[in-house]
Amino acid sequence: MTRRIIDARLHLLSRQVLDVDGEPVTTVEDLELRGADGGDVVAGEPAHVAAILSGPVLVTRILGGRPPQSRWERIAWSAVSHLGTVVELDVEASTLDVDWPERWLREHVVRRIPGGQHDPEGES
Amino acid sequence: MKKLLGVALGILTAIGGFVDIGDLVTNAVVGARFGFSLVWVVAVGVIGICLFAEMSGRVAAVSGRATFEIIRERLGPRAGGANLVASFAINLLTLTAEIGGIALALHLASSVEPRLWMPVAALAVWLVLWRVKFSIMENVVGLMGLLLIGFAVALFLLGPDWSQVAREITQPAVPEGEHPAAYWYYAVALFGAAMTPYEVFFFSSGAVEEKWTAKSLGQNRLNVFTGFPLGGLLSVAIAGCAAVVLLPHGIEVSTLSQIVLPVAQAGGTLLLAVVIVGIVAATFGAALETALSSGYTLAQYLGWSWGKFRRPAQAARFHVTMMIALLLAVAILMTSVDPVAVTEFSVVFSAVALPLTYIPILVVANDPDYMGARVNGRVANTLGSVYLGIVLVAALAAIPLMIATGAGS
Repeated sequence: MTRRIIDARLHLLSRQVLDVDGEPVTTVEDLELRGADGGDVVAGEPAHVAAILSGPVLVTRILGGRPPQSRWERIAWSAVSHLGTVVELDVEASTLDVDWPERWLREHVVRRIPGGQHDPEGES
Repeated sequence: MKKLLGVALGILTAIGGFVDIGDLVTNAVVGARFGFSLVWVVAVGVIGICLFAEMSGRVAAVSGRATFEIIRERLGPRAGGANLVASFAINLLTLTAEIGGIALALHLASSVEPRLWMPVAALAVWLVLWRVKFSIMENVVGLMGLLLIGFAVALFLLGPDWSQVAREITQPAVPEGEHPAAYWYYAVALFGAAMTPYEVFFFSSGAVEEKWTAKSLGQNRLNVFTGFPLGGLLSVAIAGCAAVVLLPHGIEVSTLSQIVLPVAQAGGTLLLAVVIVGIVAATFGAALETALSSGYTLAQYLGWSWGKFRRPAQAARFHVTMMIALLLAVAILMTSVDPVAVTEFSVVFSAVALPLTYIPILVVANDPDYMGARVNGRVANTLGSVYLGIVLVAALAAIPLMIATGAGS
């Protein structure tokens, strides 16, 4: 595989994230950076992207600051399989914690309305 | 027939932009006050929306990314978010107006109080969003909306002095007794209506719904260059009818029944019935377009799964968003506001949404990461840059003109 230089701001932030089936999961709201030893990032030292962050961290990207670590919703960077105009994962959305609002609304609202499971592309 | 059905997306998109309920009224007001002297603005608007809708459709076909995904990606959370708020407000206000418009049109046909029709209309819109396949929806609503061609028939039956009409179109001037500020207010309003951002949201997302690929670029062009000129033509025909019948008598348009008056005069009850069905279909189509756009914009900004091609359970947040938008629309209508007056406020939001929508489209249409060899040509880029300038001027001029003229009155 050829190496390619990626600008995290330009090529990662705000990109669409798709799961292994091509289903949309979230957008890249922010990134979690870690130092080489897994500790905090130190200026001037090498760092790596540990996770894609989603959820409430969007608010702090707009307004500034950052939420407490306990509120971070992570997708581990190891789940990323390909970077193109979108970020592709090699796991299913249903296995990810960040997908909980979709699952909650599906189970508690949409599925309970008649026709919620209806396949619009199928016959009748 | 298959060719005709293949362009339904373009036609439905254009109907929502050019002849939704707010535009029906605006067009008739323009005709009744300014005759044919603003037709040039519609022409300028048609070219502009063709240009950018073609780009947005091409980006969606080649890269699979709908317009609000690229807005979010290029503008980031802040500017993208500002566009989201403005665009969502436009969608919601227009949706409100359309639900009210369906009710007004049904009131015209049935004399049942409009406020009783409003929840019925909203429920009907929701049922289509919930249940009906995208292609059936666009074909039925798009083709029925074409019945508005009855306005063009009426214009020919009325038989104005065509050489006079041609002179008014080619040598536009502010009519006597009208203030230039009012003329320019309506010019900006017509241009803004032609370029309404939800058209590209709906068109590009529709391209994804229909699973267009790089092979669909011919279909993209066909949709764009059939749909929007047709929308412009309908808009001119409505203004023309008002110019021929209402202008000489100095009748000011304020209700839907005055808009169809020239049709009844020219073609009798039959043509009137055709046009009323067309109005119901067009407002219904615009309601679907704006309701879907509210779901598309929010879902694409936040990266949710969206689309009518998925089971509702597979796009839960998308469907819940549209339900909430419809409920909000009915709630606004229940306060007895004038549905048509509601759309006037969208001018304010357009000032933010127009530039922030069309700039990212132009940028991404030039990005080989997304487009490969299908990037913009020189003509598209030159025209696109010129139109960005026009959009900026119109967006900046809109609010001062609105205040100075008291929204054109």
